[in-house]
Amino acid sequence: MSRRTIELIALGVIVVGTLAAQTHKEYRYNVGPKARISVNDPYGAISVKPSTGNSVIVNALLYSDKVEVDNTQTGSHLDVQSHLLAGATAETGRVDYDVFVPADATVTLHSSTGPLYAEKLHGDMTLEGSAAAVDIRDVSDAHVHVKTLNGAVTLTNVQDGHIEVDSLSGPVTLDAVTGPLVQVISTSGKIIYAGDFGSSGEYRLTSHSGDIDAIVPENTSADVSARSVKGEVRDDIPLQPKAHTWFTPTQGRAFMGTMGHAAVSSTVVLRSFSGKIHLRKRTAKSQ
Amino acid sequence: MTCTELQESLEQTEYGTSLEQQNHLRTCPECAALVRELNLISSSAVQLRAADEPSPRVWNSIQLALQREGLIHPPRPARTALPSFGNSRGWARWLVPVAALLLITVGVYVRQHSSTQVATNIEPAVSVEPTSEAALAGLNDADLLQEIAQQSPAMKAQYEQDLSRVNQYIQDAREVVATDPNDEEAHRSLLEAYQEKAMLFELAMDRSLP
Repeated sequence: MSRRTIELIALGVIVVGTLAAQTHKEYRYNVGPKARISVNDPYGAISVKPSTGNSVIVNALLYSDKVEVDNTQTGSHLDVQSHLLAGATAETGRVDYDVFVPADATVTLHSSTGPLYAEKLHGDMTLEGSAAAVDIRDVSDAHVHVKTLNGAVTLTNVQDGHIEVDSLSGPVTLDAVTGPLVQVISTSGKIIYAGDFGSSGEYRLTSHSGDIDAIVPENTSADVSARSVKGEVRDDIPLQPKAHTWFTPTQGRAFMGTMGHAAVSSTVVLRSFSGKIHLRKRTAKSQ
Repeated sequence: MTCTELQESLEQTEYGTSLEQQNHLRTCPECAALVRELNLISSSAVQLRAADEPSPRVWNSIQLALQREGLIHPPRPARTALPSFGNSRGWARWLVPVAALLLITVGVYVRQHSSTQVATNIEPAVSVEPTSEAALAGLNDADLLQEIAQQSPAMKAQYEQDLSRVNQYIQDAREVVATDPNDEEAHRSLLEAYQEKAMLFELAMDRSLP
């Protein structure tokens, strides 16, 4: 028997052993309107998508018998919990969830490792985890709260949202995100906003040492102020100066003004301590 | 259906919802009163849960801590994760969210305190150590790193770096406030820096759990 054959057999044994240790479970529930669904998964991925009607479907992939899934339904409140048993580790305690919930459900997701994913929902959602990457897409009319230490955060096509993102060192990317409040706080992660800042919201992007890039289309209307205490500030878009400013802009460190039509504009505050801030027009290359 | 059968059936279905149960309840005032009380307790319990219960992971964390201590064993058929304060580690788990709340409160206090000084033209109060408020709030970096080192040694270096970053954020924000006490955005920035540190403690404790 050749060495290559032995290696293939060994690989096959490992793969089969791994697959054999995995267990797939499915749970189905009916909930009332405005349901609350929470999934707490110490280790593993959680994905949430809309279901049809009032049904909740939980597909769980358990990576070993060191972890179990506990579900508790109280009226329209469903708690899904990965229950770690003695001796569980990040590998053996892992559970990956695919969850389908009513589109208007309030969703709370927690996983230390992530990733966390939500799409096409319009209920309030909270996603958090220390190293969890977070990806939210095609969401409307929702309060979206995200907390992560090191994970990357991506919000795409989130409309009319009340958005609050806290990230310590992970990059935060907002693409076509609008709403009455869009707030990102990051200690060292880079913040990228690509979009038109809506029509009448408050947009606050703040970092300590991370750079901030705002990429806006030609027709954007917004009152913009940007300031970096020690970093460079660049503005590629001509702004109409404001009559009154709440700080004295220093060349290269701050700018303030209005772009587009002030009457229908949002308020945009870009602030950093040592990060660079760059406001620029969207081009075919940056799209 | 007899009274005994009705009481047994209540364990299987919602209180008084089946046709047989309803037929019996129409003719038995004692059972009807029992069902009314059960429904009242049930609805009140739901409200209590919604109002007072911390997140499920808190219960899970406490339960796991108790299991590690050998004080409870994983109950197989019917598990419960009721909170217990009788164990020192259980109390320790509560300290983090409480400390985080305290930290935010201190942040608010610092902001208000600074604002007051602006109004009265007194010197800005940024002369204490950058993390002294955090220490007052019970958020001690060394304690956190020790907990991380015990639970997730591989993560310690990452959290040391994270703590260093967020402490620098607080220090820099305080300096900006000191430079221009009238700058409302600077005050906001200081508060956000504290918020970041509170989040770090909150999520770090989650991460350090098994």
